Amino acid sequence: MNEDRVIRADRMRFTKNTLSSGLVLLAILFDVFYFVNIYKSDIHHDVGTFYYQIRIGASIIYNLVFMLAAFLSSEGVKNYKVGYCYALIVIGALQIARIFILPAQAMAAEVTIGGVTTTVMQSAQHTRVVIYLLVSAACCLVAAVVGILRSRELAAHVASLERKAE
Amino acid sequence: MAQLSLQHIDKVYDNNVQAVFDFNLDVKDGEFIVLVGPSGCGKSTTLRMIAGLEDISAGKLYLDGKDITATPAKDRDMAMVFQNYALYGHMTIYENMAFSLTLRKENPNVIHKKVLAAAEILGLTEQLNKKPAQLSGGQRQRVAMGRSIVRNPKLFLFDEPLSNLDAKLRGATRREIMLLHKRLGATMLYVTHDQTEALTLADRIVCMSMGHVQQVGTPLELYDSPANLFVASFIGLPPMNFFDVTVQDGRLVGREFSVSLTPEEKELLRGYERREITLGVRPENMAEGGDVAVKVFSNENLGMNTLVHGHVGQSNTPANKITAKLRGWCGYKEGDTVNLSFTRKHFFDKETTNAIQGGDRA
Repeated sequence: MNEDRVIRADRMRFTKNTLSSGLVLLAILFDVFYFVNIYKSDIHHDVGTFYYQIRIGASIIYNLVFMLAAFLSSEGVKNYKVGYCYALIVIGALQIARIFILPAQAMAAEVTIGGVTTTVMQSAQHTRVVIYLLVSAACCLVAAVVGILRSRELAAHVASLERKAE
Repeated sequence: MAQLSLQHIDKVYDNNVQAVFDFNLDVKDGEFIVLVGPSGCGKSTTLRMIAGLEDISAGKLYLDGKDITATPAKDRDMAMVFQNYALYGHMTIYENMAFSLTLRKENPNVIHKKVLAAAEILGLTEQLNKKPAQLSGGQRQRVAMGRSIVRNPKLFLFDEPLSNLDAKLRGATRREIMLLHKRLGATMLYVTHDQTEALTLADRIVCMSMGHVQQVGTPLELYDSPANLFVASFIGLPPMNFFDVTVQDGRLVGREFSVSLTPEEKELLRGYERREITLGVRPENMAEGGDVAVKVFSNENLGMNTLVHGHVGQSNTPANKITAKLRGWCGYKEGDTVNLSFTRKHFFDKETTNAIQGGDRA
């Protein structure tokens, strides 16, 4: 059993942390789902100019920054770089925080168009985007935890190999 | 390790071109067999039939006594190393070596042990995290071999693995293959058109021409006792010199020379009295001083030896050309005449081209 653990640690010298990097790519995918669903409106559900404010620009820019940062982190964790794992924790936390910004505001807001008052974000849509953000955040956090554990295991194994070499 | 038996193997392509004729060979356990011959002689086709990459038109193929003639390539438990390495450029060396086992869904820890062991054997441990593009040709070929080793196949097949390497690297990698065979003790079949590789690597050589097996034997047997003119001309560098001669009263009489026969040679050629035969003499079986006058047209000093190119007698025809490998440093100039003796002769039947003897020592 102990030998198996040593071999598993040794394997990491030559294999990538594909579990963590895969999870981060999944996080990006769910962020894309969120992004394409958040501004959804149709002829039966016209939200007018609610999103046409600075928040739409900020939201788009944040999405781009998120995708870039998450992709870079996925490459980092793939190579057992522990710094990128901490970056992923921050990114994951921000994904959770986002639930309380645009989706929460849209859920609470109402617009009146042609005398008809409607809620900007219906509860079904809200649930959907919240799930997307939660899954995206969970992927980032799990990837970070796995990355930290594996990085530490690898670092300890390499240190033991160096001690043996001395 | 494995025993391989090829029995009456033929290969006929769809366009009715026959590439291999009645190929028979028994490969012993742990033996290193080299298939050698010029381009288009059917050696690679034979190897591909053994690997299962080509259908066998006729005959039977047995591995450890089991008929595998119709067995798909993936079930034959053989590993093939190709001339162009066939490595995955986007994978690391470790991943390339582990790939076949990963596909078989073997335990990752077992794969790891096998890859590290193979890398250790091949001196690739420091390269495991690199991509193939970062390695030299020789190292890439070692990776290709490593990929075979990790599978622990019954049979290793090499299809001209050194052809893409430069001369220096080819020599080094050849020695590595030799050591690898000694270390693994595995049964290996190796295809090459390079006689140096064949002579240095093989336990036995299969010499092929035009789809036919010309001779099977140890490197020394092929060099010392070529079965026919083709083998005699193909094995040996520089190649053997050939002359049309007539056996006459205990002598060999050529157009421009006459040499005496030893009692053993006379006995051997008794049935050829007054008949024309082909005399073969290797360049290294000549010495200064003798009955054969050679007019020199070039002299190449190689340090320990000198290659003297010339023609026998006065007429400079292709049939009279001769190359002698003389001991020491010679200073012959163009136009000089040197008298040579043949220290060893090979005789071939003019009609059948088969050896009259295996090349008895003079």
